[in-house]
Amino acid sequence: MTVDGLHLLNQALFGAVAASGFGVLFNFGWRDLRWCAASGALALTARTIAQDAGWSLEAATFAAAAAVGCGGRLLRAHLGIANNALAVAGCIPMVPGFFAAQAIFGLFALTAPHPDNPSKLAVTTMEFALRVIFTAGAIGAGLSIVTHISRREVHD
Amino acid sequence: MRTSIEGPRFPVPQHEALKTVNIPDNTKVTDPVLLNDLELEQIAMATLLIGRLLMESGARAEVVHEDCSIVAHGFGADHVDLRSGYASVDITVSRGDSTITRTMEVGPHGVDHRLSHALRDLVRRIQQGNLTPSEALAKATGLKRDTPHFVPWLVALAAGIACAAFGRLLGLDWPAFLPVAAAGAIGQAVRQVMLRRLVNVFVIAACVAFLSSSLAGLGASRAGSATVNVAMVASVLMLVPGVPAFNAQSDIMEGHPTLGTARGVCVIMLLTFIAIGVLLAQVLLGAQP
Repeated sequence: MTVDGLHLLNQALFGAVAASGFGVLFNFGWRDLRWCAASGALALTARTIAQDAGWSLEAATFAAAAAVGCGGRLLRAHLGIANNALAVAGCIPMVPGFFAAQAIFGLFALTAPHPDNPSKLAVTTMEFALRVIFTAGAIGAGLSIVTHISRREVHD
Repeated sequence: MRTSIEGPRFPVPQHEALKTVNIPDNTKVTDPVLLNDLELEQIAMATLLIGRLLMESGARAEVVHEDCSIVAHGFGADHVDLRSGYASVDITVSRGDSTITRTMEVGPHGVDHRLSHALRDLVRRIQQGNLTPSEALAKATGLKRDTPHFVPWLVALAAGIACAAFGRLLGLDWPAFLPVAAAGAIGQAVRQVMLRRLVNVFVIAACVAFLSSSLAGLGASRAGSATVNVAMVASVLMLVPGVPAFNAQSDIMEGHPTLGTARGVCVIMLLTFIAIGVLLAQVLLGAQP
């Protein structure tokens, strides 16, 4: 496995910036914003390393979400009930919004009066749509599995 | 569990909705049966308000159910049943031979971590027996009103920077970075104004997506970017409902499939409206999707 250090740094840095930006949008307190940044950086670092190791985007995203969930659980004593919300904030930069947009554009293009090469377009659109479903599912499953295995109380 | 699905509604002004929560005065009642019913009424309304505020601040269904159960039992109810729908919550509380059922509307679903955190602290205090239902209701109403928020310009700036950072993760080149950040910030500022004017959230999504995407596309092409299409999509990513999407999955996994499905349908609708806005911008600028 070869890891491009510069690419890894780029992903971690912008994952942290995106997560803390969304932290402001979600009204996290100032103190929690640094944890949003750490959570986003951890998520993108884990996902990039897994992808560099040859894992698919979906598998890498699952591993990254589970890593962030575990990180939150390990710091539970320090973060309190916010640990779950912080894990979610960290996973926000992995939400496949771009693929979702491409899938919907593909559907629009397919329903145009005379689409160019409709078979290829249908396959591409289906690929984007499946990526959205599996990636979003991977994030949800990664976070939920860790939460449900390690929780001590229901609203933990 | 019973859960209803209602379609997306126009937002309810929060201060108006909070005014409708009344707790009857039981100081002049001496009949023990009526007294028990009035106390149950107080318990039900205080519990419903906390449940409703939790839902509006982005809590998943299981947290709402668990916290409402803690609150009602903390006030002395023997048995509690809660039904959480997308647009309302219902509760049945029992004590001894008396049982009452009450319902309360839920306003627009958002994400407010500080409010959610404060509400859950309030739930812990109720569990410890430190508050009466009237005091809890007053405190919950106060939390909704007084929870601090970032100033709007800072939220807009943060959203813009988050969009640009998101864009870098998707392969956005450096010349497009600032145009995307600026377009995202302007879009978020317009979104806040439209939300205050109670415009429908789906209409807001389409309008803001069109505006931000057009501005980002124009700015990126003027700046000599080779990733104009990525810029046009990246500038609207603050609109993507990530937390509701996670909540939808969690709700379905945790035994609340109808609420989860309702949330999921709203996520798909929002994504569709965002895509329409971006598509219109691409048509306007002559960009290929």
